[in-house]
Amino acid sequence: MYAYDKYDHALVNARVEEFRDQVNRRVKGELTEEEFRPLRLMNGLYLQLHAYMLRVAVPYGTLNGTQMRKLAHIARKYDKGYGHFTTRQNIQYNWPKLSETPDILQELADVEMHAIQTSGNCIRNVTTDQFAGATADEVADPRPYAELIRQWSTFHPEFSFLPRKFKIAITGADIDRAAVKWHDIGLVVKKNDAGEIGFEVLVGGGMGRTPVIAKTIRDFLPEKDLLSYLEAILRVYNEQGRRDNKYKARIKILVDALGADEYARQTEEEWQKIKDQPIDFPAEEAARIKAYFAPPPLQVLSDDVPAVDELAKKNFLFAAWLQNNTNQHKVPGHVNVTISLKPHGGIPGDATAEQMDLVAALADEYSQGELRISHEQNLILPHVAKKDLPAIWTDLDEAGLGIPNAGLLTDIIACPGLDYCSLANARSIPLAQQLGKRFDDFKRLQDIGPLKIKISGCINSCGHHHAGHIGILGVDRKGEENYQLLLGGSGAEDASKAAILGPGFDENGIIDAVEKVVAVYLGEREEGEEFLATYRRVGPQVFKEAVYDAR
Amino acid sequence: MARKIKGPQMIVANRLLDGRVVFLKADGGWSAVAADAAVAADEAGVDALEALAQKSADDNFVLSIEVIDATERDGKPYPAHMKFAMQALGPSVRPDLGYQVSPAWEQTDL
Ligand code: HEM
Ligand code: SF4
Repeated sequence: MYAYDKYDHALVNARVEEFRDQVNRRVKGELTEEEFRPLRLMNGLYLQLHAYMLRVAVPYGTLNGTQMRKLAHIARKYDKGYGHFTTRQNIQYNWPKLSETPDILQELADVEMHAIQTSGNCIRNVTTDQFAGATADEVADPRPYAELIRQWSTFHPEFSFLPRKFKIAITGADIDRAAVKWHDIGLVVKKNDAGEIGFEVLVGGGMGRTPVIAKTIRDFLPEKDLLSYLEAILRVYNEQGRRDNKYKARIKILVDALGADEYARQTEEEWQKIKDQPIDFPAEEAARIKAYFAPPPLQVLSDDVPAVDELAKKNFLFAAWLQNNTNQHKVPGHVNVTISLKPHGGIPGDATAEQMDLVAALADEYSQGELRISHEQNLILPHVAKKDLPAIWTDLDEAGLGIPNAGLLTDIIACPGLDYCSLANARSIPLAQQLGKRFDDFKRLQDIGPLKIKISGCINSCGHHHAGHIGILGVDRKGEENYQLLLGGSGAEDASKAAILGPGFDENGIIDAVEKVVAVYLGEREEGEEFLATYRRVGPQVFKEAVYDAR
Repeated sequence: MARKIKGPQMIVANRLLDGRVVFLKADGGWSAVAADAAVAADEAGVDALEALAQKSADDNFVLSIEVIDATERDGKPYPAHMKFAMQALGPSVRPDLGYQVSPAWEQTDL
């Protein structure tokens, strides 16, 4: 893992002191709310429906056991005993007090954490594959590049006041688990024919009220040119992105207006001017950062572990967990474990302080002290020896964390919605809870197979509904909560935009509608065909008939 | 400032120091429970309440003042729309915490 150097420490500590002073001045009335608001947002502090909300950065979703224990401690001491892991691989606290926020930030700084780049029209925290550096299907670990981008983008003076927020995601794997095509910039680490590392560069993806899938503007960017090329992309956006209308301010609108080819051309032109200036990191610095992400020293072990097979034979839930919640590691005999934060009837992404402490302890014992957060709001223990799985699952299961539903229908992404969010039109969490109860049968879930449901409480799309195999969008219909049903989206390498199926539903109606959609799939699917493939083959009409005709 | 109102109005805000949801009382103080809120039935009344609330904001006691539609529950003032009712109570998915557990989450009279 990356470890702070003296510059990082000095920067983050200075930032805490600066914010402490700003809070004091606000409380004394020396700063008005209008003056203070942008300052608190730069430190991750929002005002939500019930209280302040603090968004803490977990850069590229990687943290260690000590940091997780600190997150638990903050939940206990300054909040109401829990936190919410989000689609941006961050954690949010729902009840911090303004007066205590500087102390929280100091506690975070003590373990090399902060809340920088979690808000505002800057380059936000870079997100990546939750299995980065550990999964078998990877060209290269994307995290050193994510860290380079972090160092380059943090407090970048030119890019601190962009037309709008800016999100970069990077993956190094064949299977895209980071939804890179839905980001302002998506990067895919690749090798060319000569075996050199570089990036496919995509721009202009985004959700919100205008969902757009990013377009490739460069098939192969050499590794050494990463930062200067990003700088060129951002400069074109910063100069021409619209500032008159915040709904048209994202880069996706500019890329659409210019066309991807023209955007690529202008980027190239800008890049030619700057590519030989010292923006890109010298090779030694890149090597120094890469060293932090050196693979842990794992022994090659056998993938055949009789104790695991025996438990799987005896216990259906463990067998399902083994199948759904483990991912093959680069090193034989090892896996990456997904700890589902989606108990049936629970709140997607929420974890109690006790659960965080347990996960931290498991990380220290079984996963080299390392943890990840996935954009699907789950936690990951990377680098786990297969032989340890029965012990890990038993501990998790006792704490309510052994749910074997990763990637299945009840592994639902849901934004905070009207239960917490002041921008919401409708609640999202209760739908996830009801779906969990309606489909609370693991044999049935296994039979249905991989299916991603994603729920947002308003068109801002924090719950990625545009990318859901089944997407649900909460709207306000004459003061009542109403839900639109969308089908056919994907956030993966085969990204697609979900399409609205028909008129919306009330809370019970939408749950019934999902059940009907699933029934159509089960009736139509061919041998081994997953939901999304069936939908793409048969089209929306049969789903529409089943959902609406019988009403 | 002349305004048109459709029905009775009340004022909700967040307390600066901790973000706690508070309702404006007739005397210009704030309460943690909606039932204590002052309700204005006409435009002049709303303007007067808003001036009181603004004074509190200027004194750095509250932020995010909102004038919202009021209704009655058990004969007492209550937010008319679901969003603000949710704000008065706390998250519907955590009935074990938030303001709904006990109005005296801290003291009610602020
Ligand atoms: C609770 C307070 C939140 C507020 C006020 C908020 C606000 C917004 C807004 C205004 C947008 C639309 C931006 C645009 O289209 O230009 C947005 C998009 C988004 N937000 Fe949130 N959000 C909140 C919570 C979350 C949470 C919990 C997450 C997960 C970390 C999240 C992740 C996202 C994502 C992934 C998008 C869509 C991707 C995109 O930027 O196009 N937000 N949010
Ligand atoms: S999608 Fe809307 S309701 Fe959900 S968290 Fe984002 S802004 Fe709030």
